[in-house]
Amino acid sequence: MQTLTPKHDRLLIVFLLLGLVILAFILTPLLHMVFGQLISNRSGLIEAVNDSAVIKSILLTMYTALTATAIAFVFGVPLAYFLARRDFPGKGIVESVIDIPIIIPHTVAGIALLTVFGAHGMIGDPLSSIVRFRDALPGVVVAMLFVSVPFLINSAREGFQSVDPRLENVARSLGASSWDAFQRVTVPLSARHILVGSILCWARAMSEFGAVIVIAYYPMIAPTLIYERYISYGLSASSPVAVLLIVICLVVFIVLRMISAGWRRYDRD
Amino acid sequence: MKKTAILIMIMLCSVIALGCVGTDTDTTTDGSADGGDTPEVHSGTLTVFHAGSLSIPFAKLEEVFEAAHPGIDVQCEAAGSAATIRKVTELHKEADIVASADYSLIPSMMYPEYADWYLQFARNQIVLAYTDKSRYADEINADNWYEILRRDDVRFGFSNPNDDPCGYRSQMTILLAEAHYGDDMIYEDLIEANSAMAMVYDAANGTYTLHMPASESIDPSAKLMVRSMEMELIAGLDAQEIDYYFIYRSVAEQHGQLFLELPVEIDLSSVTYADTYKTVQVVQANGNLVTGKPVVYGITVPKNARDPEMGLEFVKLVVSPEGQQIFVDLGQPPIVPAVGSGEVPEEVRGMVEMG
Amino acid sequence: MIGINNLSRNWKEFSLNIDLHIEEGEYFVILGPTASGKTLLLELIAGFYHPDSGSIMIGKTDVADLLPEQRKIGFVYQDYSIFPHLNVEENIEFGLKLKKTPRDERRRRVQEIMDLLGISHLSHRYSLTLSGGEQQRVSLARAIIVDPEILLLDEPLSALDNQTQNMLRDELKRIHHEAGLTTIHVTHDQTEAAMLADRIAVMIRGQIVQVGAPEEIFNSPANAEIAEFVGTENILAGIVASNEGGLTTIEVGAHVVEAVSGYSAGEHVRVCLRPEDVAVSVGTMAFQTRHGDRDHRESSVRNAFHGTVTQMTPYGALTRVKIDCGVVIVALITKQSAAAMGLTMGSPVCVSFKAAAVHVIG
Repeated sequence: MQTLTPKHDRLLIVFLLLGLVILAFILTPLLHMVFGQLISNRSGLIEAVNDSAVIKSILLTMYTALTATAIAFVFGVPLAYFLARRDFPGKGIVESVIDIPIIIPHTVAGIALLTVFGAHGMIGDPLSSIVRFRDALPGVVVAMLFVSVPFLINSAREGFQSVDPRLENVARSLGASSWDAFQRVTVPLSARHILVGSILCWARAMSEFGAVIVIAYYPMIAPTLIYERYISYGLSASSPVAVLLIVICLVVFIVLRMISAGWRRYDRD
Repeated sequence: MKKTAILIMIMLCSVIALGCVGTDTDTTTDGSADGGDTPEVHSGTLTVFHAGSLSIPFAKLEEVFEAAHPGIDVQCEAAGSAATIRKVTELHKEADIVASADYSLIPSMMYPEYADWYLQFARNQIVLAYTDKSRYADEINADNWYEILRRDDVRFGFSNPNDDPCGYRSQMTILLAEAHYGDDMIYEDLIEANSAMAMVYDAANGTYTLHMPASESIDPSAKLMVRSMEMELIAGLDAQEIDYYFIYRSVAEQHGQLFLELPVEIDLSSVTYADTYKTVQVVQANGNLVTGKPVVYGITVPKNARDPEMGLEFVKLVVSPEGQQIFVDLGQPPIVPAVGSGEVPEEVRGMVEMG
Repeated sequence: MIGINNLSRNWKEFSLNIDLHIEEGEYFVILGPTASGKTLLLELIAGFYHPDSGSIMIGKTDVADLLPEQRKIGFVYQDYSIFPHLNVEENIEFGLKLKKTPRDERRRRVQEIMDLLGISHLSHRYSLTLSGGEQQRVSLARAIIVDPEILLLDEPLSALDNQTQNMLRDELKRIHHEAGLTTIHVTHDQTEAAMLADRIAVMIRGQIVQVGAPEEIFNSPANAEIAEFVGTENILAGIVASNEGGLTTIEVGAHVVEAVSGYSAGEHVRVCLRPEDVAVSVGTMAFQTRHGDRDHRESSVRNAFHGTVTQMTPYGALTRVKIDCGVVIVALITKQSAAAMGLTMGSPVCVSFKAAAVHVIG
């Protein structure tokens, strides 16, 4: 890392200044909320920490989001690999379809999911004797999965695309089956993309509100709880929960980022 | 290529800049209009926060108002009534109009800092809405609805009593049904058995009080669908996730749903039965106690309104014969004349009856 | 050993159509301009792609139904494709690990082959820190350690600087010699082909247009297009007369050529000379015949012959001049210098070249 001096890097300085604006834009509300909470209403935060409903909802959010990410991983990573390696007519359409959950309003997504996964829906009906989606854990997971899976697929696909197929060919010529080549060469080389995609997927799942409240108001995840606390008791009751969620998420993400940074060994020299 | 990119940037910036300048001019003309003979040209935006159940009539009122005041852009924001008021009192958003599905929330939540008057301008009634696909839709009537809701294969919904007046009013209606039909198991069978909501009888006053647990602890069974707002219940009804739900008549009518009118003694529509209604009470999770009373909508111009003058103009439209006709057309009976309370401004006093 | 029968495959810019037979233990070079389908042919042999029709036989087996990992073919790509997440040692032992070779044996064989290729000191390095030549060696080691029956080399020298090229070329030759591995080597470089090949196949736009020993290809191209492509190389057969500390005297027809090589007296060799290394002049100039008329010893030019221009062909900004000096030598000179010297058909000229410009192959 070089230090910036105006003589040789005016462009970077301008970009840095512009970048600081957007960084401030992101940080100001978050810091305002967190520090406002710490300074003016620390007791509220302590209450939130001691409130079993709050902790339960945060843990539930992390757990359901993790489940959604695991499902996204099992079904999304293979799709990402397929898209990275094969061209076929209509590929552009498939890729757009994957992006749709990012684009559509999440309430609409929730309604669409309820229609399909409800007790009379195309999927919910045949499964109704085994699993219930509406107002149940599977419903939360389904809503989270829907809105967050594009992040994992897109990131993994980028990762796979960055691995030269020749490396897989060479591995094959050395006696690796296609599965060996995938797991010994392709996966290690795209691991960081897959991990970052998984983190994004998990993060997006945890933050989902609009789609979840339509299909599964219960069991109540943290974003719904924050909303409910706000409606029933006002900001002073909801913001400690929000701050707690922000802090927990931040810690988890920093740890995950640090882990993924350690995986970059061969990306640089 | 590079040139095109720069050109696009410049164009974008100019459009954004023009947009900002545009609104600026709008707001400056507000104050700059001089007294004289020229009629005052009013322009700018008028922000209206209203209860979700007012969405359709207010959209209609917006049209009429904008036609009468060409310079004004009315922006309506719908939310649950409590959320609507909290946007003003907690988030300090500036609204020129606040309209709640329960007029009493205005004095209880906004007085004295954010408002000091309100008008009761429309009524509504609790009905049981359904579709032709709902189970037993062909046999349900005002005498057997609670029997049908009791059946194992029937599911029904209502909005969260902590969030939405329609939610606690639905509870009141179900509770009032016990006395009306002479069946003291209705609330227990329909609600208590399926959730953590509980009823307490106060023998001293002869009143029933319903205790709402915190939203996260309502714990509804598969038979019930509880949602923060009615929008999500409508989705549930469309998906046949529920067969029936309790809702305002106007909403059911505006969404083209079938609905069962309940007896006037329990549907909270009539001032005549106000004494009956007040035998039930709901304590919300936040401790707020609500007593049963007719469904009456309240409207006010908050103290922090940016354009109180135009806000008042809008209120006048709501309580005018033209405005009242809009409510009639949409199945939401207006209160004629509207009833005022508090420091009602001079301009509207003539149009209302002080209560 | 390898029989490629009516193999065809449609590709983006051309369609491949190949009939080819390669003998066991042969060093076979496929020579062709870029984008002639050479890499694709190797990938088809290796099984990374499937032909539209035709068959590939390895020994007596039709490999159509064999997966790449079942074909026992080593593959070295132009960019060497070193696994960037593994160090040199791990790269080389990749194939052995898959075979579940015991750890001790694995270590021993990896060490052996690293020693053979002189890369032991790199064992813990990653590909990004390796030079082209080092990567090439790793790639080669990785491919041959699993004892393939066939080695496919896709432009293995083209990404390297001249000096490394020369070194590795010799190394390839040596490894081939020692292991007797059937090798198919793809290149666009005539010198490389001439120096390494037992036989050469010229491939243009997806078709094999001529197959033969290097002299055949270079001295009697089958048609004008092949001549256009390969005709830029002089290959002369000769016998080594003497070798004094590397300075080799070779009798080529009536002439004596001086070169640097390791061949000793009596050996039959081929003398390769790039036409761009041949200088052309008019009038008197240093020359020598086998009878040793050595007048002008003060020049670094060790080889000079008199001859007559028999053909002049425009070659881009250059002119290709064919000169009959008893043996035919092709020179590439600029149009300007051809004009300045007033060269025409029949002009008497003198051709000269340094001993260092001569490549001698066995």
